[in-house]
Amino acid sequence: MAHYDYIEKAVKVSRREFIGIVGVAGAILWTGAYIATDLVQDRTKYIKLRAQGIYADDVKAKIRQSHNNQAVTDVYKKFAQNPLSSLAEELFHTKYVDRTKLV
Amino acid sequence: MSQHEEHGPRVLKHPLISRLFHWGLIVGFMPAAITGFLIWLKPFGEDLQNLIMQIHIVGAGILTLACIFYTFFALDRIVAFTRRIFTFDERDMAWMKVCGGYPQKMLLGKTIPVPPMGKMNSGQKQMGIMMLIGGILLIVTGWALYAFLPVAPKVAMYWFDMVHLVVGIVLGVSVFAHIFLGIYNWGEFLCMFGDGTQPLHEAEHHNPVWVENEIIRVKANASVPVTGQQHVR
Repeated sequence: MAHYDYIEKAVKVSRREFIGIVGVAGAILWTGAYIATDLVQDRTKYIKLRAQGIYADDVKAKIRQSHNNQAVTDVYKKFAQNPLSSLAEELFHTKYVDRTKLV
Repeated sequence: MSQHEEHGPRVLKHPLISRLFHWGLIVGFMPAAITGFLIWLKPFGEDLQNLIMQIHIVGAGILTLACIFYTFFALDRIVAFTRRIFTFDERDMAWMKVCGGYPQKMLLGKTIPVPPMGKMNSGQKQMGIMMLIGGILLIVTGWALYAFLPVAPKVAMYWFDMVHLVVGIVLGVSVFAHIFLGIYNWGEFLCMFGDGTQPLHEAEHHNPVWVENEIIRVKANASVPVTGQQHVR
């Protein structure tokens, strides 16, 4: 327990100061929330457009599997040996990110 | 013999809530600042750098929560602090001209006359302005980078990153100066890390204007409404 004989006088926050603080804090939070929701809406829009584009291309495509794609098989034949080879792993490996929940 | 009997009357300089906030800054800002420099300089391998980033984020979380809680539960302290750091007069100009007499004292061992100060001296006020504005910038840009880096416009994120880096370096270096000067002023160190009280004669030496104008005597066995106050003698 602290023992003391003097304390600082209480600080009075005037109505004008309180409204000013709340106003500035509110404006910062409101702007932040607006920017955040705007970004998320944009992101969702681009993910949907990208998905639609991929499906549209897929509908038109004659070959829909990579292992039937002549260009891909040529790459393996001439360059990357075979699927899952060390070189193929090094060049083509990517991490899967599930973005289905973002939309 | 108690501290009180040994040093005479004492003044409560830092109430409990301010000392708790200070601990929040130590536990939050210090790890965030140290890891921030390591994230910038990248001296380690990928795994350790990732761990450092996790520590940086946890530190930032503690810092942010400390600031939010302090704003909610000690708004009067924030108002008092803001009023103090933005109040400069001719005494501050005179104080800054002699750097508070610290270089003369530390380097030459000479004590020179210094203008009387309030609760904060002019150097502490400048540090306070940097901490208030810089702290808000660090928190806002940091969380924006954490949450929106992959989706926000690249130019905006580039400038957020630059502001976060430059303000982080300035505040990080300033905090180490603050630690040095805090320990140099041992009485203030004991006050902040102890029970928040200081002998009146010590406060009169460092903060004569504050003692003269801003403190009141506590009545025996009375309760006084001061934020964070835990006991009144």
